[in-house]
Amino acid sequence: MHSESSLRDLTRRHFFSRCSMGIGSLALASLMNERGFAAAPSMTNPLAPKQPHFPAKAKNVIFLFMAGGPSQLDMFEHKPQLTQRNGQPIPESYISGKRFAFMDSSHRIDLLGSRRTFQQHGQSGAWVSDLLPHTADIIDDISIVTTCRTELFNHAPAKLFMNAGSGVFGRPSMGSWVTYGLGSECEDLPGFVVLQSGPRGPRGGGALWSSGILPTTYQGVPLRNQGDPIVNLSTPKSISPAEQRELVDTVREMNLKRLVETGDSEIVTRINAYEMAYRMQTSAPDLMDTSGESQATLAMYGIKDAKETSFARNCLLARRLVERGVRFVQLYDTNWDHHGGPTENLEKHLPLKCRDIDQPCAALVRDLKQRGLLDDTIVVWGGEFGRTPMGEVRESTGRNHHIDAFTMWFAGGGFKAGLVYGQTDEFGFGAIENPAHVHDIHATILHQLGLDHERLTVRSQGLDYRLTGVEGAKVIRGILA
Amino acid sequence: MLKPLLTIVCLAAMSRVAAEPSGLPERIEFNRDVRPILADNCFHCHGNDPKHREAKLRLDVREEALKSEAFVPGMPGESQIIHRIQTTDADERMPPPDSHKQLNERQKAILQRWIEQGAEYQPHWAFVPPVPQAIPAGTELPPIDFFIQSTLRENGLTPSPVADPATLIRRVSLDLTGLPPSPAEVDAFLQESTGNAEAAYRALVERLLSSPHYGERWGRWWLDQARYADSNGYSIDAPRQIWKFRDWVIDALNADMPFDQFTIEQLAGDLLPNATVSQKIATGFHRNTQINEEGGIDREQFRIDSIFDRVATTGTVWLGLSVGCAQCHDHKFDPIEQQEFYRLFAFLNNQEEPTMKVYDSSVDATALTAEFKEIEGKLKTYLNDHAGELRQWESGLTPEIRKGLSPAVQKILEEPEAKRSFAQNLGLFASGLGPVGLFRELNDRYQEINAVLNNGTTTLVLQELPKPRRTNVLIKGDFTRPADEVTPGTPAVLHPFHASGGQPTRLDLARWIMSPENPLTARVIVNRMWQQYFGRGLVETENDFGMQGTAPSHPPLLEWLARTFMEEKWSLKEMHRIIVTSHTYRQSSADTPLLREKDPNNYLLARQQRLRLDAEVVRDVALTASGLLSPKLGGPPVYPPIPEGVMNRGQTKRVWTVSSGEDKYRRALYTFVYRGSPPPSLSVFDAPDGFAACTRRLRSNTPLQALTMMNDSGFFEFATALEQIIKQDGLETAFRRCTTRLPKPDELTLLAKLTPLNAARVLLNLDETISRD
Repeated sequence: MHSESSLRDLTRRHFFSRCSMGIGSLALASLMNERGFAAAPSMTNPLAPKQPHFPAKAKNVIFLFMAGGPSQLDMFEHKPQLTQRNGQPIPESYISGKRFAFMDSSHRIDLLGSRRTFQQHGQSGAWVSDLLPHTADIIDDISIVTTCRTELFNHAPAKLFMNAGSGVFGRPSMGSWVTYGLGSECEDLPGFVVLQSGPRGPRGGGALWSSGILPTTYQGVPLRNQGDPIVNLSTPKSISPAEQRELVDTVREMNLKRLVETGDSEIVTRINAYEMAYRMQTSAPDLMDTSGESQATLAMYGIKDAKETSFARNCLLARRLVERGVRFVQLYDTNWDHHGGPTENLEKHLPLKCRDIDQPCAALVRDLKQRGLLDDTIVVWGGEFGRTPMGEVRESTGRNHHIDAFTMWFAGGGFKAGLVYGQTDEFGFGAIENPAHVHDIHATILHQLGLDHERLTVRSQGLDYRLTGVEGAKVIRGILA
Repeated sequence: MLKPLLTIVCLAAMSRVAAEPSGLPERIEFNRDVRPILADNCFHCHGNDPKHREAKLRLDVREEALKSEAFVPGMPGESQIIHRIQTTDADERMPPPDSHKQLNERQKAILQRWIEQGAEYQPHWAFVPPVPQAIPAGTELPPIDFFIQSTLRENGLTPSPVADPATLIRRVSLDLTGLPPSPAEVDAFLQESTGNAEAAYRALVERLLSSPHYGERWGRWWLDQARYADSNGYSIDAPRQIWKFRDWVIDALNADMPFDQFTIEQLAGDLLPNATVSQKIATGFHRNTQINEEGGIDREQFRIDSIFDRVATTGTVWLGLSVGCAQCHDHKFDPIEQQEFYRLFAFLNNQEEPTMKVYDSSVDATALTAEFKEIEGKLKTYLNDHAGELRQWESGLTPEIRKGLSPAVQKILEEPEAKRSFAQNLGLFASGLGPVGLFRELNDRYQEINAVLNNGTTTLVLQELPKPRRTNVLIKGDFTRPADEVTPGTPAVLHPFHASGGQPTRLDLARWIMSPENPLTARVIVNRMWQQYFGRGLVETENDFGMQGTAPSHPPLLEWLARTFMEEKWSLKEMHRIIVTSHTYRQSSADTPLLREKDPNNYLLARQQRLRLDAEVVRDVALTASGLLSPKLGGPPVYPPIPEGVMNRGQTKRVWTVSSGEDKYRRALYTFVYRGSPPPSLSVFDAPDGFAACTRRLRSNTPLQALTMMNDSGFFEFATALEQIIKQDGLETAFRRCTTRLPKPDELTLLAKLTPLNAARVLLNLDETISRD
């Protein structure tokens, strides 16, 4: 193996001394001139930054996705009535005509009071349970929305819905839409990056960060904690850094000759793609190398070993990514599906999951704030749905999937700080004030990025597709500063 | 009334290319000039869908529009629409400001002149059957070239010269078989081309069309549309076996099965009289839907979803219509009502979805099954007759002997005798009393037949229910909200439907689709073939021939191709032959300053189009160039090396045991594809994932592709093989294996500076290697 530093030196040398030999537009123009072309083909980089529809409040998004459906009733929603009527059936009026997951097996209608203790915190007086002490500490930096609503109650379709505004496979995810609309300000990393923690991948897999009907340029690129951070990032073992540079240089020279021969501007794009790929070979390992972070920073996130694979480290990487101008970062943390099964129940496993994410989430918000990045960055926390007020008894206790009202929170990027938005009924079953449909949430995030969700469209099959569907979504003004 | 349609020579292309914004056509044509404006700006609220219709105004039907005085023929001043598009009053203006749509001055002028000229409508071009095209007597050009060159002439352009022979053989080989020619084939062709170039080229085309690799190349084209993949999709995404369908497609194309038969067997092969195994396998087309195996689901919901997919896919693939839009509401742009969507749904709602065993062609399953039953009877009698011996043997078993028996036998012995099954008794008998005499004879044959009948390949098929399911309109597509019951039927805007008697079936639907009266299917399919050859269809919106689709760039050519397809008895090979032997196909793809200026997007086809190769072909070219390719056809999917860790991104971690021997080097078409985690080296080059019908691939150009080509272990292995070729046969040969042409001296000089391995890597990474000129 060759050290990354020698590869880096070569890159630097290349850019400072050989750049003029590369694909400078002047050189290209003169080459093309020889064949009678008045101008060189434009060097379009599909990820070049683009102007938003209107002035933006935020530039980047970090979406902390709790895959499985976190239990809002044990974390954010304080419902004394639920505790009082523990074990009684929920009144028929709530559930008449509704459908739930596991209808034919473990679904129950008896209310389940939370066993957690709740307290009010901060200026906003928001209720937070004892599971999230660190989140409680940043409560005045975040906007909690308790009335989020989605349409699908099975995991994979609901995850797609939260990401792509539709339960149908093959639609672009939000990260793809955003990079399609705005490009990226990072020239040596992908514009849309996905990080994962937890015992397995999220249900739905690659479809969750798919670019769907948009070009693959905009698809999410998973950054891996083990092996190559990006698939095929490392130079093959027997190849030296000098040989790799030589490969890129020779391919460029040969492609240039072909460009002059054919006049095909796709060749310019390909030459640029090879340069960017080569830069990624250095920049991605640089990004992943957190050894330069201070002890204080690592401690704030709760990272014990700078090389560990954890949600905490992914939060730190998320900060490093937006620092570098990456547009959309999505973190998946799995196993939030607390039905009450042997490995996912409310008594034992929910507290463990909360412990994994509580401190890092709070640290991320603080870290972004102290570095002046929070104003430009929207942090989103939530899952594909929430969990029912009714209990579910399998081996131990849990709750079923719930789509009528669940909690998400937002920080930075022009969202109000220290707010609880929306109100749910006495059991936390449904919204009684200010419901927030997933499409509204999407419209709001796009709005903060300077994008009009009705104008961010792509045409396919004679229709202008958009993230927010056809039913008419609206920006939730009440949560914006 | 059809005549005006024929004379449309102006096209979407020309209006983009040639027409200046100020110059209006003398005679306004509704389809060419007016409909696109109305469709884009008005029909959303004033179109086919009554639920979203504003002010009860309908502009897609002339009588309705006249009734409400939106247009007053001959009198623009009296026409509401002219007033509304001109006014500056935001409350009155159309389209309204919140629609973000706005008419430009040219569009306003077109509407004005159209009303002056009488506001005549025309039926949508694609809903009228293709009409014969007159070609002037004495025209020597093949019809394709006649039509293309007429338009070029009108635009002051001329076609490009024929590409040089090396480019030509590479192009046509890649297009027809997905494989590059070998240096020997190139040499032979260059040699023959110095004599009668035309004859040499035609012979080459015939050789390629009869190559079995033709079926692989064009099979993939069809499998994209069939949304074929090897797993169940959704979150669990377990593997499934349906590769027999893939092989059926390849075989059918190689045999040049007429497209009408090809269609009917896939949609309704099981309903044909005395359906063969092969015809049943063909019904796998509509089994390529996802199956949700997640816990806690309502199965009916996902069964309904799979029927939605089948209706939408049938609409997209054969009709080029976005029928799926009418799932929740009447179609906003095309005359397809929600009720009609569910009438189509009713055809596809009546089947069981079994897994069918498929036997080797040498196996006579009927005879074997009969023999199997007979032997089973004999064995039962035998066991009965000898039950006493078995009991005696069992009672003589000491604990020590028991321990020495196989775990399976020990388990059987734990069962009380009365509860043991026939199979258990059989196992016990064979193990205890030993395989001797008549028992052995019977049991051996029994096991042998069992292995043939009960192991081996299966495939997913459709099988019609004896009694059809009831079909209702589902409000907003929600299966919990059934409304009116509907019977099977087809959209009224298309040709009439004839049932063969009784309740119409999928077979009737398939025959309706392939009816010569159908205005769409022939156009849609030839357009999709054209798209493969030129990177863009004559109708650019290859999956939407409805009102929102683009108009054809060369209407007479599309009409001619569609009619020819039907006249040639739906022969796909004949259509390929006609297209690839045209000059339009054979001309050089090089861009020139003149063309760059006059037709930068090459709508007029004064040159061929340079195209990045499809994902599978990128791999297959590298395999061929490095001499590793296994030409083996068909069979179960294979597992070539993939990067570490890519199979555990979804819910389930997958095992990916790399194939050994030649299966490591098979064409990409045979690589196992999990919908949820498709092989990265294919998906990075835009291979579809099988979630929905893919009728056109994107051709992206990204850094991840560069990383794949430079660093992927598979590509690196190809490079090491090509390195050996460089060492043995020299750089020039290796260069030719990648690009088909001879290198120029300066190119050789550049490559010669490198180690053979790095030179090999450069060659595989060239833009030219993964493109076809």
